[in-house]
Amino acid sequence: MNEEKVSESELTIPIERSIQAELLLLLGQRPSHGYELIQRLNEADFKSGEADAATVYRNLRRMDKEGFIKSHWEVGESGPGRRLYKLTPQGEASLKVWAKYIAQQKVTLENFLQAYLQFEASLTEREEGAT
Amino acid sequence: MIGSQKTLRIIYAAALQQVMEKCLEQFSIQNPGLKFEMNGVGSREGAKRLLSGEEYDIIALADQALFAELLVPNLVEDYFVFAADQIVIGYNHSSRGSKEITQENWVDTLLKPQVGFARSDHHLVPRGYRTLMVWQLAELFYDRPGLYSTMEAACIPYSTYPKSLDLSSALFQGKVDYAFLYSSEAKQLGLPYIVLPSKINLSNPAYAKFYDQASVTVESKIPGKNVIIHGNPIEFAIGLAKDSQHLELAQSFVDLLTGPEGSSTIEECGLIPC
Repeated sequence: MNEEKVSESELTIPIERSIQAELLLLLGQRPSHGYELIQRLNEADFKSGEADAATVYRNLRRMDKEGFIKSHWEVGESGPGRRLYKLTPQGEASLKVWAKYIAQQKVTLENFLQAYLQFEASLTEREEGAT
Repeated sequence: MIGSQKTLRIIYAAALQQVMEKCLEQFSIQNPGLKFEMNGVGSREGAKRLLSGEEYDIIALADQALFAELLVPNLVEDYFVFAADQIVIGYNHSSRGSKEITQENWVDTLLKPQVGFARSDHHLVPRGYRTLMVWQLAELFYDRPGLYSTMEAACIPYSTYPKSLDLSSALFQGKVDYAFLYSSEAKQLGLPYIVLPSKINLSNPAYAKFYDQASVTVESKIPGKNVIIHGNPIEFAIGLAKDSQHLELAQSFVDLLTGPEGSSTIEECGLIPC
């Protein structure tokens, strides 16, 4: 496991890269090729939006290059051969970082919602007081 | 060092012309002295050439399904998906309605009486039958019964520009206002294009079941007989001929195309490396 790389990701996770977390999780569940990953991602209830082929393949190539996943060509039993992707130990570590980041985001968003609900309640009280 | 007598014979979808030329350039550097015979064709036509006895070492087609339909297992054993694409509507700056056309109003723009749009021959090239599939899916997606027939009747006869290059050239030269192309072709030609919704442009495996509702009848491998093919996401595939005399070399070329160098080339040419 490359600790330095993982901690770098921890510091620089932009939210638009969440598709990488989603792909890492799907590959953690089972190795898949890109075609199947696009289908699984679009069926997943944690997807952040419609995943198009270009975005998925581009992120797979990037993560393959960075060592988070690895791939090889697999001959199809009854169809075409495709590149099969697997999660690496470095990818597993990155997924843990993602989960930690998302948990932190969840707390922040819940705090925001709670503060908003209090604000909304105070508005209602003010409106009722005015009438 | 490769013996100067060896000639690697490659037959490929004309839509892959630029990809093949660039990969060949790299491959030639690695294999000085090797000769090549390159044949850019319509993919259905190319597969049928193999069936008729023409000999090639490498076959790269614009529809992976053609391998299973026509070539496996007799002529090709294994084949690999290496690129994906989508159907778009290409146009040029003098195309009538080009200032107004959008992803929302493309149907009505194309159906204006003064506008000319074209497609390739569905019997020869996947782009031809994929265009018909796009029209069928558009009929469902936009809930416009009869749209497919209307588009077919309004389109310039497919025999006018049957192959990919004919159609791209006609568009480039302003002979037609709009043409149904792969996005990679429009990018390579530097032409503007309209991206269609992913539910109809045959790009996304997530909609494979929806695409499957579209079907087109084309000439089968048996002369005089037809076969029905269904819509699926656009995927290009490559395979080695079983009877190739240069299997090792052919495999090296496929390795280059499907490796990091090939992926960069595929991306530069506007396709999506898989």
